[in-house]
Amino acid sequence: MKKLSVAVAICCALATSSASAEVRINGFASIVGGKSLDSDQTLYGYDDDISFKNESVFALQLTADLQEKLTATAQIVARGANDFDADFEWAYLTYEFSDDLQLSAGKMRLPLFRYSDFLDVGYTYRWVRPPQSVYNLPFSTYEGLSLLHTTQLGDWDSTVQVVYGSFDDNIAVVSVNGDTELNNMAGVNWSLSYDWFSARAAYFIADTSIGIQNDTAEGMALNGLEQALRSSGFSEQANDIAINEDDSYFLAFGFSIDYNNILFDAEYTEFEVENSALAKQTQYYTSLGYRMDEVTVHLTYENNDDKHDSSRYNALPTVPPLNAGLNQALEGSKAKSNVYTIGARYDFHPMAALKVDFSRFEDDITNTETDVVAVGVDLVF
Amino acid sequence: MKKLILASMLTMCSTIAFAEVAVIVNPANANAVSQDDIKKIYLGKSKSFADGTKVNPVNQNGNAVADEFNDKLVGKSGSQLNAYWSKLVFTGKGTPPGKLDNDQAVIDFVAANADAIGYIDSAKASDKVKVVGKY
Repeated sequence: MKKLSVAVAICCALATSSASAEVRINGFASIVGGKSLDSDQTLYGYDDDISFKNESVFALQLTADLQEKLTATAQIVARGANDFDADFEWAYLTYEFSDDLQLSAGKMRLPLFRYSDFLDVGYTYRWVRPPQSVYNLPFSTYEGLSLLHTTQLGDWDSTVQVVYGSFDDNIAVVSVNGDTELNNMAGVNWSLSYDWFSARAAYFIADTSIGIQNDTAEGMALNGLEQALRSSGFSEQANDIAINEDDSYFLAFGFSIDYNNILFDAEYTEFEVENSALAKQTQYYTSLGYRMDEVTVHLTYENNDDKHDSSRYNALPTVPPLNAGLNQALEGSKAKSNVYTIGARYDFHPMAALKVDFSRFEDDITNTETDVVAVGVDLVF
Repeated sequence: MKKLILASMLTMCSTIAFAEVAVIVNPANANAVSQDDIKKIYLGKSKSFADGTKVNPVNQNGNAVADEFNDKLVGKSGSQLNAYWSKLVFTGKGTPPGKLDNDQAVIDFVAANADAIGYIDSAKASDKVKVVGKY
């Protein structure tokens, strides 16, 4: 409902302004076809049948300058994974206080990662998709405020963004349809760049609640354990399983280099919902690219390690069955994987790029490997 | 093959023809504009002239002068520039300069707008505009 009302407000703003203000239309699209090379493993939504839908995106952005300092922007995104149903993913107003300070309000992208802001604009990066070990959070937008300050410190450009807001939707964490609320979400995102070098740090906090539905085996097991703990009077241990108004934080560091056609990117992220069944996540990737005029080749290594602190284990030594259940829940949320990606981008047109990526995902817990190959065209217009 | 030869000849000719790019402002504009200022203006990092006047830059539309200017002054290829501006446009952080089709259109625009800046083949410069640098 909240989402809809923001979208309607922006539409109204755009519509009423169209008589007096200039409305700019920009767009981007990615048409991606891919498949898993393993008959029994899926990855990035692909199984062993070729899909052109899964990672394809088509989007239009409308921007209206309402007066000199006020702008309304709406981005309508249709995702293949969502049957190309169009959705307002961004809808916000921006007020420019000065050349270096602007405030935005509405529904926007949460600037968690270096490529967050243009996550869907494949044309702006070299991969078919940003490294998914790091870019793995199941939500990417929020509703609230964003204050953006840009300055020049000598030869360096500094951008500081402070955000405050909330997120409320169903996302897939443990269960398929978890009613999720992130409240009092606050964060800061700072980037510094100097010609060929840029570095970035981000830190966010939120009160996190994720309702776990009985729609997966894991969801049923966790709900069963929580009820068993509660009915046995261990409410503290039950609360440490439930994801209910728990403090969470997200931390990110990264840097990138674009020097004499050598490209290098690295990002490190940490995410934890404290006192919950969700394991602390630690991820990073490093990626090397080389540009030869219109062609860029790249090699990327990603690492993901999700686990609970050892102090969380054996929380109920006096009640062996529940203790074993708790340990099992903590073990069950562990994940450990690596991904190797090799790929190429060809700028065959000033507004379009052809890309091919081959990725090998290694799951160190199940000892399985999954290969995915994807070919795509990214456009901006 | 013929087409290719023709295309490469044209490329060579255009390189020779546009040996120099002149950056122009309105004759009423008294600000000094350095090479670094020009780069910052065309990357959206600078939004004002030295005296605080809001700057109104204009590009040329994918022609040889634009290629020359992007290469010499901005230091990015057409594709790299499109990617750069896409990052700003789709995040509400900036709008790229508008595009005009040829030198004459840029001269007319700059002559008519006191806050404008543009670039042309230096051979086309006229006294309707002021050249602040040749590159």
